[in-house]
Amino acid sequence: MSTPVSVRPDARESIVLDVSGMTCASCAARVEKKLGKMDGVSASVNYATNKALVLAPSGMSVDDLIKTVESAGYGASVPEPDAPKPPDPAELLRRRVTVSAILAVPVILLAMIPAIQFPGWQWVSLVLATPVVAWAGWPFHRSAWVNLRHGATTMDTLVSLGTIAAYLQSVYALIWGSAGRIGFTHQIEFRLMRGMAGGAVYFEAAVGIVTFILLGRYFEARARRSAGSALEALLNEGAKQATLLRDGVELLVPADVVKVGDLIVVRPGEKIAADGVIVEGVSAVDNSLITGESVPVDVAPGSNVVGGTVNTTGRLLVQATRVGADTQLAQMARLVEQAQTGKAAVQRLADRVSGIFVPIVIGIAIVTGLVWALTGAGADMAITTGIAVLIIACPCALGLATPTALLVGSGRGAELGILISGPEILESTRLVDTIVLDKTGTLTTGVMSVAEVVPLPGTDAATLRDVVAAAESGSEHPIGRAIAAQGSALVVENFAAVPGRGVTALVGDHSVQAGSLALLEDHGIGIPVALSEAAAAEAAIGRSVVLIAWDGQARGLVSVADTLKPTAAKAVAAYRALGLRPILLSGDSAAAAQHLADQLGITDVVAEVSPAGKVAKIRELQEAGAIVAMVGDGVNDAAALAQADLGIAMGSGTDAAIAASDLTLMGSDPVHAADAIRLSRVTLGRIKGNLFWAFAYNVAAIPIAAAGLLNPMIASAAMAFSSVFVVSNSLRLRRFQPLP
Amino acid sequence: MQSTYVVTGMTCGHCVAHVTEEVQAVPGVTDVQVTLEGGQMVITSEAPVDFDAVKEAVAEAGEYQVAAA
Repeated sequence: MSTPVSVRPDARESIVLDVSGMTCASCAARVEKKLGKMDGVSASVNYATNKALVLAPSGMSVDDLIKTVESAGYGASVPEPDAPKPPDPAELLRRRVTVSAILAVPVILLAMIPAIQFPGWQWVSLVLATPVVAWAGWPFHRSAWVNLRHGATTMDTLVSLGTIAAYLQSVYALIWGSAGRIGFTHQIEFRLMRGMAGGAVYFEAAVGIVTFILLGRYFEARARRSAGSALEALLNEGAKQATLLRDGVELLVPADVVKVGDLIVVRPGEKIAADGVIVEGVSAVDNSLITGESVPVDVAPGSNVVGGTVNTTGRLLVQATRVGADTQLAQMARLVEQAQTGKAAVQRLADRVSGIFVPIVIGIAIVTGLVWALTGAGADMAITTGIAVLIIACPCALGLATPTALLVGSGRGAELGILISGPEILESTRLVDTIVLDKTGTLTTGVMSVAEVVPLPGTDAATLRDVVAAAESGSEHPIGRAIAAQGSALVVENFAAVPGRGVTALVGDHSVQAGSLALLEDHGIGIPVALSEAAAAEAAIGRSVVLIAWDGQARGLVSVADTLKPTAAKAVAAYRALGLRPILLSGDSAAAAQHLADQLGITDVVAEVSPAGKVAKIRELQEAGAIVAMVGDGVNDAAALAQADLGIAMGSGTDAAIAASDLTLMGSDPVHAADAIRLSRVTLGRIKGNLFWAFAYNVAAIPIAAAGLLNPMIASAAMAFSSVFVVSNSLRLRRFQPLP
Repeated sequence: MQSTYVVTGMTCGHCVAHVTEEVQAVPGVTDVQVTLEGGQMVITSEAPVDFDAVKEAVAEAGEYQVAAA
């Protein structure tokens, strides 16, 4: 900027510092005092968040402030905007896969095509295979070892065992067997020849297994959407900034420097920065973030408000009563965290199968060796046949079975607007038998609209609608705006909002009152029984009622309600068709929830529940043996989404809900939730089929190995057939079709 | 000579350090020993130290009060 800036002598700027080393509230007071002694500086230090808000004369250097804090015995720094991201696990895997594949391809080609087996090829294979087995396969060996110490066997055990067996067997054959001879080649035919174990190398099996399984892992890592932390997303729902009122001056500061007792100015449309109590002002606060309730709550001095909720109409002055980790929003974040950490990791299907398969294979290998030894075949033959069993038992395709199905399944899902954050969730959803549905934003649009227009005798509905739409046209209250959205051609004058009651206006030449019972009574207007009965009936189904009078006489009412999504009924029918039991779980009033459930034919309704209550309800269902899917969109659903076996978030919903969920539906159509469950069921079916075939070819070859007849051609054929089968089976998932 | 006072409001080692640092700076004071537990403060000095100066120093250190033991 070239324009000279004139600095007023009293101009002060606010600076936020991170303070470290504070161990108690006295420390904060001490830092405050030290900073306050500097010329023109006043500071307030929040011990809980380790932040100092400093008001310093413009031009004062931040370094001087930091030095002052340091001289008080603490550390200070300018807050870092964002922490650097940790390395992407998929990137690390990619490196392993690439190196492994480059080394493995020549090894496999050499082993399978005897024509190119140049003199000494087997020694070249050894050199190429060693880093693959030792370095690329390291994650498997490490995990196998860790699991072994817990007495568990997983897929990693099988991979580690198979590759090490194949590698050591081959090294043995090279050095002590006949395979090390320069000029040695593999047999072309699938002949069953006894005694080949000492005369064959299986480097291709070892490198093939490592490469394929790493490739599978890489696919899976790629398919995983960067999940992000639900916690962070939740805390981001809170206000980032707050306008503090200090000594009569408004000061825009980061929200985390607000302290208990501070006065915060909240303008219409702004988020309230901390839990607090209203000192001044009348407004309606949109609490849907916390409660899921769609109708904004009217507030006045003395009302409690919750941080993160949105002020809709009037300016509020709020005194903070709880900040930082004590706020309701922070408590909800803890709830999400607990639900997430409490959720036991689903054991991978391949690991479950391996857990049974591995001990059996080891048993067969030992028995094979013993039988050969006891029948007098010699130690050499006994050991090599035992090892041959281990080599053939490790199916390459095992590594592809789950990842390829997940990759294709989640890819097809993405095309259909179903985003899967952790593809492995597809492994566990077949058994889902209960679907818990949030109301606002999931089955309803969350937008208020006019539900009913009830005129009293003598007034017609169209006139009533036009007059009230005109009268409310100047309104900022969400209910008033919903009514005004109907549109009206009538001329409005003298509009006035009566906070907490309604509006008055001159429409045409009629003096109109629209609002609560109290508003009409204030104007001395009598309420006919028919009107109060109609109002009670509307309120009983959870609608907000606006009574209308003009020229001193009550004329009728309009009611406003959250709008049902057009596809909600179809969605509920689709859930039922999948054998799911729908349950409505809402933070909204019992009347509103029940009315909605009746419209959709849902019989299980739980209403007026807090976020913690939602989690408790889902846990209760789970303890009763149900496998629960939860569909929601709000911050108040986040913990429940994390708790559910399958959390499904509406893409139109909040970041917190999306981060806490397993699946996100693009857009806001609840029918997609049924597609998501169908897709996951089909995917799981494919995974199971894949696992069966991956094992089947190798299991079939075990007797050959046990008989001492294994040769590298048979091993390679089993590998190739099962891999091709598994991949093509997975690709069939591309044909998955959504519900019409 | 030594004089003993009681400081209230200290909650951690930092508080002890702050009080010690400030009282140390009072003219005439040669040594200050502050204990967190019980809040005892023993001031060693050549001549009697003005109590108001001690009081001021303690207040300077933070939200603490001092009384003669």
